[in-house]
Amino acid sequence: MVEVEFERRLERLFAESGEYGDANAFAERIERRLDAGWTARRWLIGSAGVVGGVIGASQLMLTNVVERVETAGDSARLLSSGLTHMAPRADWLEAVAGGGSVVWIAAALAVVMMGFVLSRLIGEI
Amino acid sequence: MPGSGHARYASLHDVELCAHAATGERRAFGELVRRHGSAVRGLLRRMGAQGAEADDVAQDAFLTAFERIAEFRGDGTFAGWVKRIAARLYLRRLQKERRLGALTAEPAFEDAEDPHDDAEARIDLDGALNALAPAEKLCVALCFGAGLSHSDAAEALNLPLGTVKSHVKRGLEKLRARLGPGNGAVLEGRRGNG
Repeated sequence: MVEVEFERRLERLFAESGEYGDANAFAERIERRLDAGWTARRWLIGSAGVVGGVIGASQLMLTNVVERVETAGDSARLLSSGLTHMAPRADWLEAVAGGGSVVWIAAALAVVMMGFVLSRLIGEI
Repeated sequence: MPGSGHARYASLHDVELCAHAATGERRAFGELVRRHGSAVRGLLRRMGAQGAEADDVAQDAFLTAFERIAEFRGDGTFAGWVKRIAARLYLRRLQKERRLGALTAEPAFEDAEDPHDDAEARIDLDGALNALAPAEKLCVALCFGAGLSHSDAAEALNLPLGTVKSHVKRGLEKLRARLGPGNGAVLEGRRGNG
């Protein structure tokens, strides 16, 4: 029992550490380092998002997306007109055929998503 | 601005501050550093780190704690958790700089001074720890200051478990001779959970 009491006392002595005179300055140094790290991380995430978006957009451009959209639009129109004869109420296909706007919106969303995913990944790291 | 908004967090419990810190509130974490910074720095000094080195390691320990704050479950105290991080970081630094081997291999020295004549040493843990060999001091500080078990300390120090137990036992005997009443009784470490 004596040993256990002494060990408890030793633990208390270890825990009873006096306050350092520069305790506030020490804490402020750490806060500054945290702030600096946070700012750097935000810049990194923002930059990565922009770079990811630009890369995504340029990839879409390079794959002749405009040409493909036009081709898709023509195909949709043909399909729509073909189907109209069979089912005159197929309005949704008309909307698709109505232009490449849907495809453009999808492409833009894909770019935003890519940037977002990249940002999240870096944020998690 | 660092240091602003302290009052908002001053009344909160450590666990609440940890929850705030986990959401990225750096001022909440700053309050935790303000509360426990001295204890962590003190432990590192008691492990043998010099002033500037102890502060460097303590800073790194708190920064690591902030990054890993989500891992803190509140099972023990926040101070204990950070102390364990700090102790491991310090040992890693010693290992990296190839100082750990020399420190743990250093033979124990016998203090020629009669501990009973040194009244200050009786109440001064730091003074008493200075009478220990470096390896004994390190082992005792790890087990009683950082709260590591014998086996955890052995793993962290890369020493056999039996060696750590011997260091702790000898260290406790010397400390008891200086700090405690009823000198002479052989102490058995109760942390023999390894």
